[in-house]
Amino acid sequence: MRFRAEIRNVHTFTKFTASLATLGHIAWVRLDSKDCRFTVIPEQGTQVWSVLTPDVIFENYTIQSAAPNNTINLEVPLAPLQRALKSAQNAIAANIRLTKKDNIPLLSLTITTTTSNPSGPAPMSTPSDGHDGFGTATNGFGSGTDDFREGSADFVGARQDRETVITQDVPIRVLALASVEGLHEPRCREPDVHIVLPNLMQLKGISDRFTKLALETKTSARTGFASSSSGPKLELSGNMHGCLRLGLSTDAMQINSLWTGLENPELDPSQVAEGEEGLANHPSTKMKALGDSTGQSDEGWATVRVEGRDWGKVLSVGRLGGRVIACFCDEHALILYVFLNSDEPGGGESVLTYYISSYSA
Amino acid sequence: MAEASPQALQSVFKGRSRDAGGRETAIERCDVSIQDQPDRTECRLIVKMLCKHGMTKTYRLTYESVEVMHALFDRTAASQGWRISSRVLREYIEFFGNKTEQLDLLAQDGKAIFTSFTEKIQDGKEVLKQPLETAIAIHTEDFEDFHMQEQMHIVISVKDFKAIVTHAETLRGSISAYFSFPTRPLQFSYQNFGIHCEFTLMTTGDLRGASATPNPKFTSNRSSSRQPSVAPQPSLSRTASEMLPPARPSFNKPLSSQSQRRSFKAQPSASQSDPDPDSLFMPGGEEDQTWDPPNYNNDEGEEMLGWDANNDHPSASFHPTFRDSGSAAPPPPQQQERPAAEESQEGLAPTQRLSQVSARILALNVLS
Repeated sequence: MRFRAEIRNVHTFTKFTASLATLGHIAWVRLDSKDCRFTVIPEQGTQVWSVLTPDVIFENYTIQSAAPNNTINLEVPLAPLQRALKSAQNAIAANIRLTKKDNIPLLSLTITTTTSNPSGPAPMSTPSDGHDGFGTATNGFGSGTDDFREGSADFVGARQDRETVITQDVPIRVLALASVEGLHEPRCREPDVHIVLPNLMQLKGISDRFTKLALETKTSARTGFASSSSGPKLELSGNMHGCLRLGLSTDAMQINSLWTGLENPELDPSQVAEGEEGLANHPSTKMKALGDSTGQSDEGWATVRVEGRDWGKVLSVGRLGGRVIACFCDEHALILYVFLNSDEPGGGESVLTYYISSYSA
Repeated sequence: MAEASPQALQSVFKGRSRDAGGRETAIERCDVSIQDQPDRTECRLIVKMLCKHGMTKTYRLTYESVEVMHALFDRTAASQGWRISSRVLREYIEFFGNKTEQLDLLAQDGKAIFTSFTEKIQDGKEVLKQPLETAIAIHTEDFEDFHMQEQMHIVISVKDFKAIVTHAETLRGSISAYFSFPTRPLQFSYQNFGIHCEFTLMTTGDLRGASATPNPKFTSNRSSSRQPSVAPQPSLSRTASEMLPPARPSFNKPLSSQSQRRSFKAQPSASQSDPDPDSLFMPGGEEDQTWDPPNYNNDEGEEMLGWDANNDHPSASFHPTFRDSGSAAPPPPQQQERPAAEESQEGLAPTQRLSQVSARILALNVLS
């Protein structure tokens, strides 16, 4: 079993890992010749199933396994992976490989950096003279002699060529095929409404504010509910006329935010069961006949209720900056498709899918 | 010598640095006095902050008069060591996982290797809870001074190391390490802005690996070409003596084991708080943290490292004095197991020896 690759896009990988890490501690990672799949299934709350084409984050992706299709299944703790990637932020090279040390399987990251702060350590200065190690100011010291300047210029110049190698070993578990066979991606009925979400930063800001308000009014009434199933519920609705509504109702207040002019992407007949006919009978086609683009009508909305804190965690995927399509199955579930920026060829197939169940009113 | 609650002391100064810049409540002066006259309430440390508009904030802390004992460290016995910009080191300590316990120092192939690790070996599902193991290999050329025997593992606590480097970086100086062999004490030292800090730590590690080698090989840049540019100052005879290979004249060094400052506690300067965390509007910067889910409970935050992460037992920070009287060479095996009585007999030095004090004064005179 072998896996090794150069990490060519540390930032994307870091943000991706950070997004997953908000939902759970451990990811099931399935690597094969075509895809890298990262799945987080927390005990409670939203699941995320993601598929990346290796090119999005890796280069020289090599995988070898006895299992069909060169598949390797791993269980990877996300926090250590995130931390390991963090140390590669300013790296000049980073690679990742599957290895074993003292019989513990590891994902080992080897990160090469240069000393980014060539802090002219001013070898002439005595430890107590106050300039010791102050930035790169060695050349700026007016009092320095010529000899001293030349010496330190050489020194700084040489210093930049040196590399520091950081090795980060993330302990993992290798999963047998049998132990992942039972894991299946959730399946939902065809959605009633699909809509492109507005800027996630804005949506997250407002959602978090609502959640906070709800928590504050709630704790004044009764205290002590920390589990995510009993937290405040936000009501999310969308229609097929570009409207999205985020609402909160408590005993004391009712607030709503409404977005209009959003895009409802057209469905591709080739992707819908029964083609054109299926499209004509698609729930979203029926929803198009209801409601309006001002969002003032009571008709034509598909609504789900999400747990506020869980929703906030989901929205942290905004850091990846992808295009997000929300599919509403009225009173049932909300599915978010987050498409990674596909500026570069090969990135088009990379998508994170969030499955969020709706709570009953 | 006195002992005050670090928590109380910290709460007086915490967050005050922000007050310094032209705010309404800016502090213009800070007076600190100690009240120990017998006719008044005894043992009070009084901090007065004189603010703008004639406002004065006064804090009265109780303190306890104690006999503080320092670990004496004999630098003549510490034949090995290194010095590096604390800023460089500060960058790298960020990479050590939060929950790792130990730090292994090793010199190998012209590199200094710092490895953080945790000893527990866990099985099954527990493996995933094992913290990250991090190894950082830094070229010895990145050190201002480096001299260490190869293949010798010196092990200290990661937490201590991170705390020391974090504090050293705030003083912006270089940090020096002095050590000899595993199971002998190690000392970190740095100074700037009139603050002189020394931390003496006990080490563990594989002593046999170090002493078994008949002809130990050293990784060293002490004889490199830029060293002669260091002007040897008469007062700092150790600077000069360090340039020499291990066989060193046994100077009685004036600066050893004095003015240890510990139990400082402060927030790392990086922790700038958002002006309005509740703002609905998009913050200006593309900070990745803004995407993190907000912490509604305030109880699940990631462990953040201040200077002193564990101050639950303030009294524990003052250890009884012991003296590193081991010889520079690794002691032969039978000497390792010296009876404790013998150790304490020669080790206890509750006060500073006069010779050291006078040597220090002499050194100060030369400096000024």
